[in-house]
Amino acid sequence: MVKKAVLLFITTIVLHASVFEKNCNSCHKSFPVEIDKFLYRYILKHSSERDVKTALIEYLKNPTKEKTVMPEPFIKRFGIKKPTTLSENELKEAVDDYWLMYKIIGTLY
Amino acid sequence: MGTNLSHSEKRTLKRFVALYALLSFSILILISQLYLDFEKDLMLRKKQVLLEGYAKELIENLKNLHINLDKSRKYPRNDKYRSAIYDKERVLIFSTLKESSVQLDEKFYKSGKIIHFIKQPNAYFLGSYYVVVEIDDNELWLSSSYKNLLLYAGVLFILFLIVGYFLSRLFLKPMREAIELLERFIQDTTHELNTPISTINMNIEMLDLNSVGEKNRKKIDRITLASKTLSHLYDDLSFLLLNHKVISNDETIDLKTFLQERLEYFEQSAALKNISLHIEIKKSATIVMDRKKLQKLIDNLLSNAIKYNRSEGSVTLILDENSIIVQDSGLGIKKKNLEAVFDRFERFESAQGGFGIGLHIVYVIAKEYGLKIGIESEENIGTKVGITW
Repeated sequence: MVKKAVLLFITTIVLHASVFEKNCNSCHKSFPVEIDKFLYRYILKHSSERDVKTALIEYLKNPTKEKTVMPEPFIKRFGIKKPTTLSENELKEAVDDYWLMYKIIGTLY
Repeated sequence: MGTNLSHSEKRTLKRFVALYALLSFSILILISQLYLDFEKDLMLRKKQVLLEGYAKELIENLKNLHINLDKSRKYPRNDKYRSAIYDKERVLIFSTLKESSVQLDEKFYKSGKIIHFIKQPNAYFLGSYYVVVEIDDNELWLSSSYKNLLLYAGVLFILFLIVGYFLSRLFLKPMREAIELLERFIQDTTHELNTPISTINMNIEMLDLNSVGEKNRKKIDRITLASKTLSHLYDDLSFLLLNHKVISNDETIDLKTFLQERLEYFEQSAALKNISLHIEIKKSATIVMDRKKLQKLIDNLLSNAIKYNRSEGSVTLILDENSIIVQDSGLGIKKKNLEAVFDRFERFESAQGGFGIGLHIVYVIAKEYGLKIGIESEENIGTKVGITW
């Protein structure tokens, strides 16, 4: 009975781990540049939440050198990522979570 | 006869003064507004340079914060100004502003006592598409502008007054000259009329009517009537000329008898136009007045009622406790002319002769005794003049 409950708990956690955690942050964690810095660069270039999210989704679907917000030396060193395999909804959910986690608006004091 | 301003002259002068005042006032307001706008513009230009400097400093601080977001999220502040940042969608990111509503489409503006400066930075540090800097305006410039304005407007106002005074003199000069000319003409004519009228009257009185035939008697009657009219005109003119020199000899007059006498006096001239004269005594009354002046007043009203009547019309005199009404079935007076009927030399019916002084005499006498004149008239129906006390 106890074993069944523990198993159910673990299964629930795994199933509920966000798309962002599972598909983005898990890899980015090991990068020398933290994942929040990417969002700050997007904000610097696109300003509003809607524009940032649109640009992010656009880039993740079809990453190119022209669309990147990162500086040239960064691209030279790490290259361009591969296009995402996530579905439209998953991608949107991941980007929403990413925004919520690192956004600037509402966090200044 | 003096050359004091007549009623119509006063009215013209009043209208001129009102128009001139309105024009001067509008010019003063316009100039004041332009001056204030100019001063405000000057002040804003100075403040704009200051605010541009503040905005530049703020953007530099936003940049530093953006770079160091992982260390601090404390928004940069300065005692000299307040600020806010908005994203591209005009969503407020952070604000230390006093005024919550900001016109982001403007670049620089003053609202109440607060001046706003809006800058769009090249890079959107912290997402700031619009950077707003705000300072208070102590409006010292405004009070100093008002002081200057008061001084300049005062000088201008005095200048307008002087110009207005000379303009009005210039404006009234031809009118005065025309009236003086007319007065001089009447004065001379009156003097010249005196002798022939007296001669005619004296000779008619001396005529032995029994010795002339029926045919000639009618002619003499007409001459008598014409001479009476002339005498009447002469009296009116002399009254106007000597009005200020004649001392009133007031007495209590029984109006019933008096009015009946006056009606009898006009019977002959009324009969000539087939006009019937009536008297209606509602209540007997007396009045304390100079007999000659009262006679002139009533005679002028009756004479007008007969003169401006239609053939086979009627004239009714109504006496009440404190009023006399002269009502005719005549031509009537146009509404727009009613106001000016008591003005000297004012005539609205050119078909009839006259100098236009009859009602002016009525007005002068009524004014002297504090009597109120009311006039009602309807074209082609008749006129009703009431004297109340």
